[in-house]
Amino acid sequence: MILHHTKYFFSQAFNSISRNRLLSLATVTTVTVCVLILGVALLLFLNTSTLMSNLESDVEVNAFLNKDLTQSQIADVKSQIEAMPGIDSVLFVSKDQALQNLQKSFGGESYNLGTTMGRNPLPNSYQIKAKDPHNVPALAAQIDQLYGVDKVNYGEGLVERLFKLTKWIRTISIVIIILLAMGAVFLIATTIRLAIYARRKEIYLMKLIGATDWFVRWPFFLEGVLLGSCGALIALIFLAAGYSSILHNVKTVLFISLLSNSGVLFTVYGGLLLTGAVLGTLGTLISLNRYLDV
Amino acid sequence: MLVQFYNVSKIYPNAVKALDDISLKIDRGEFVFLVGQSGAGKSTLTKLLIREETPTRGQIFINSRSIVRMKRTQVPKMRRSIGMVFQDFKLLDTKTVFENVAFAMEVIGASTKEIKIRVPEVIKMVGLKGKEERFPGELSGGEQQRVGIARALVNRPLLLIADEPTGNLDRDTSLGIMELLYDINHKGTTVVMATHALDLVKAGRKRVLELERGRLISDKRPGDINNDFTSY
Repeated sequence: MILHHTKYFFSQAFNSISRNRLLSLATVTTVTVCVLILGVALLLFLNTSTLMSNLESDVEVNAFLNKDLTQSQIADVKSQIEAMPGIDSVLFVSKDQALQNLQKSFGGESYNLGTTMGRNPLPNSYQIKAKDPHNVPALAAQIDQLYGVDKVNYGEGLVERLFKLTKWIRTISIVIIILLAMGAVFLIATTIRLAIYARRKEIYLMKLIGATDWFVRWPFFLEGVLLGSCGALIALIFLAAGYSSILHNVKTVLFISLLSNSGVLFTVYGGLLLTGAVLGTLGTLISLNRYLDV
Repeated sequence: MLVQFYNVSKIYPNAVKALDDISLKIDRGEFVFLVGQSGAGKSTLTKLLIREETPTRGQIFINSRSIVRMKRTQVPKMRRSIGMVFQDFKLLDTKTVFENVAFAMEVIGASTKEIKIRVPEVIKMVGLKGKEERFPGELSGGEQQRVGIARALVNRPLLLIADEPTGNLDRDTSLGIMELLYDINHKGTTVVMATHALDLVKAGRKRVLELERGRLISDKRPGDINNDFTSY
């Protein structure tokens, strides 16, 4: 009996799609466009997000030590920093190394800073990374209190502004994606409403003859899923082809490396396909309930 | 008793009082004409019978079950015991005669085997044998209404409700449809027919319920002396 019904529902769904070719095409196109826009927005969001994470993880604290510390005092500072919660790594940079780094950033080996100045004015320091870059300002303040630490530097001011900016970009992107998804549902619901409107007599009759709500819903439901998935699939083909050609041709854009983790991309594409099916179904259900009330 | 109305009133949201304190009973096997001018409440009464509308006040029983207190989920099952015939036939233009009749069985979940046996039977009964593969557009008005009647009968209803079934048909064709309805009634199905066509009512010599502005003003049976509806 159930098998018989399933066959009936599927044949009804396919019949309806082929009988209302133009409306079916309109629905598929609508889903394709919506999913495509959604997909582009999502990829942009993910890439921006990765970029911002990279920027944020570059944030670190430099703790400059007093010049007159003994070796054991220097080690002591390190263990105190490491004991703080939320510390990822603590790297010792000796004054000699600091000088070399400075010389490198000034243009390499063409002259020797050490001999030019006669002495090394730079202090020993620790380069500290936090597990969560957002904790850096608080940690810096704590480290500053330690005995033996002369001064801390973490790009004060700039870092706070970076964090504020990334927070806004993330919030705005999520809002835009949600709005796009809502717009898509509305658009699809309207298209499917037209298809259902064309068959309102049939639905009315079904209800009067004594069909249950779900018996009426199933074929439309399947139709929505099929058209939605179909539209999403077309969008995905365009999206995947477009993105992989961008990845292929431009490894980096403005020194920003693009997201290319195949696992993440697979999840994104799978999610979009599912979104298409869900959009189709949701659109159908929203439109259908009005006509079921007989 | 198949149908019982107790003090039924229906007031639509726009404050129109369509039915006013109607009480009536219809027995199994009866043929009942429902007459009255447009707006008298005939359509509302038929809509209440299939629970397309619910009454504002009063109780309605079909087969001894209250359809007013009935849960929404139980409505489909109740409707399967009622067949509905419409003035404008309400056939599906993209389906053949056979498919239109089979449709009524499909939507209540009948098996293909049952459909293949029952549908030709009913099509033959309404006199359309040989036209199974035609589309409604290729049929005359009278033939289309026969398809509508076949669709209403295919699930063997206890009650057949016909709302102006001859409203769109000429006189001769109407007589043919009436013959068919009497025949169906003869075989045991209760029939309630709402109509304007007084000549058909007079010729029918059946029970007549007359509505006027939402009130039941007369209930006359063939045996009554003064069965001429002069008031209408």
